[in-house]
Amino acid sequence: MSTAPPERGGWEPPLASRAEETEAPGPGRRTFLLGAGGAGAAFLLAACSGENDLSSRSPVDKASVIAHRVDYPGDLRTVALAVALENQVVGVYTSALAAAREGRLGTVPPALTSFLTRATAQHTDHAKVWNGVLTRAGKPALTGVPLSDQKEITATLARAASAADAAALALQLEEQAAQTYLMATYSVGGAFETETAATIAPVEAMHASLLRFLLGQYPVPDAFLPVDRAARPSLLTV
Amino acid sequence: MDAEHIDTRLLEPTTRDDIMALQTAASLENLAVSVYRTAAALPFIKDGNATLQEFIATTTQHHEEHAKAFNTAAVQAGGQPQTGTDPKYAAVVQQALPAAKTPEDVVALALSLEDVAAQTYTKDVGLAGTARLRRLFASVAPVEAQHRATLLVVQSLLGSGDSELIAIPTDAAALPADVGTTGFPDAFYPTSNASPISEGAVQ
Repeated sequence: MSTAPPERGGWEPPLASRAEETEAPGPGRRTFLLGAGGAGAAFLLAACSGENDLSSRSPVDKASVIAHRVDYPGDLRTVALAVALENQVVGVYTSALAAAREGRLGTVPPALTSFLTRATAQHTDHAKVWNGVLTRAGKPALTGVPLSDQKEITATLARAASAADAAALALQLEEQAAQTYLMATYSVGGAFETETAATIAPVEAMHASLLRFLLGQYPVPDAFLPVDRAARPSLLTV
Repeated sequence: MDAEHIDTRLLEPTTRDDIMALQTAASLENLAVSVYRTAAALPFIKDGNATLQEFIATTTQHHEEHAKAFNTAAVQAGGQPQTGTDPKYAAVVQQALPAAKTPEDVVALALSLEDVAAQTYTKDVGLAGTARLRRLFASVAPVEAQHRATLLVVQSLLGSGDSELIAIPTDAAALPADVGTTGFPDAFYPTSNASPISEGAVQ
């Protein structure tokens, strides 16, 4: 089921970006309780050519092309960051599902497969809403992953040798997304952007809880969602 | 947090609506604490699944911290702390909790409280008059949502007769496929059942 995002409250003139600069997220937590699986050497190519690409270019290449053509000022930079993060997650999950189908992650728990499938659909919905903000502001929608850590994320996925490896990477991305949206709620100026970020952050946090449970970790580790793993605006390469 | 952010947002005045929203939030937290404390003492809980006991204990602490944070913010804004419980949902609890006979009953009640809290704070983010309050509500809403996600998984496992899988670590390979999706039913967290800001405000 997909609940509609908040009614659009009108686009306000973008304020100067006030998003905090935080430390880049560290390596994914690695509590490997789901048995080790097959080799993931061929993962890199699959991840580089994720299904969210518009062309045959890798997301990184695509981003470098866009970087010379588009500027996302003020709040739109946070919105573009949100789209890029969502696209990154969709690409990783799509590639992980493909690897699972091909047996490259060993035995994959059915609950992880269903998680990746449902979560991919929800992240796609999130990207669509944020791209709507960009296009209404006269900017092109982002369909690639213009993030400076894309190569690192792709490489991490390529090294994934088990379902636990893939789940740990997914957890890293979900935590980053939830915290980035939390930060957006108090750093952007537009009502629609604030409310949308507020309705997405809990969903990403729920994704993270499920992944923690699958990885054998306590599902609700903090009384207050932190922002230490929020994506920095400087991560965006456009 | 950068200096520009602090200088421009924290100086904004807190309104009476903000104070009421904070008090209502505290009232929901107080109710959740009361329910979890009562539930922890029920024989089918205290003698039951150890992971569920741990969840109840940890979640009680979370809600205590949330109540303290909301009340601190209310007082800093010139309001009174809310030490009572949300009257609308206290009435629901008053009927449901004494009738609870199984872990499923407790989980269902807790689910309803976590969901209304998450919805309320999610909506409050858009209503709050300052960035500081938006951050407070926005940092608590996802945690209530995580409580709900966990309870939805527990509810699913209880319903399928897989209570032995309510464990940390669990046997991930043995989990039914639907456990992978039951914890996050919506792509956007709903707010249609959010409590109005006046619901639990100090009268």
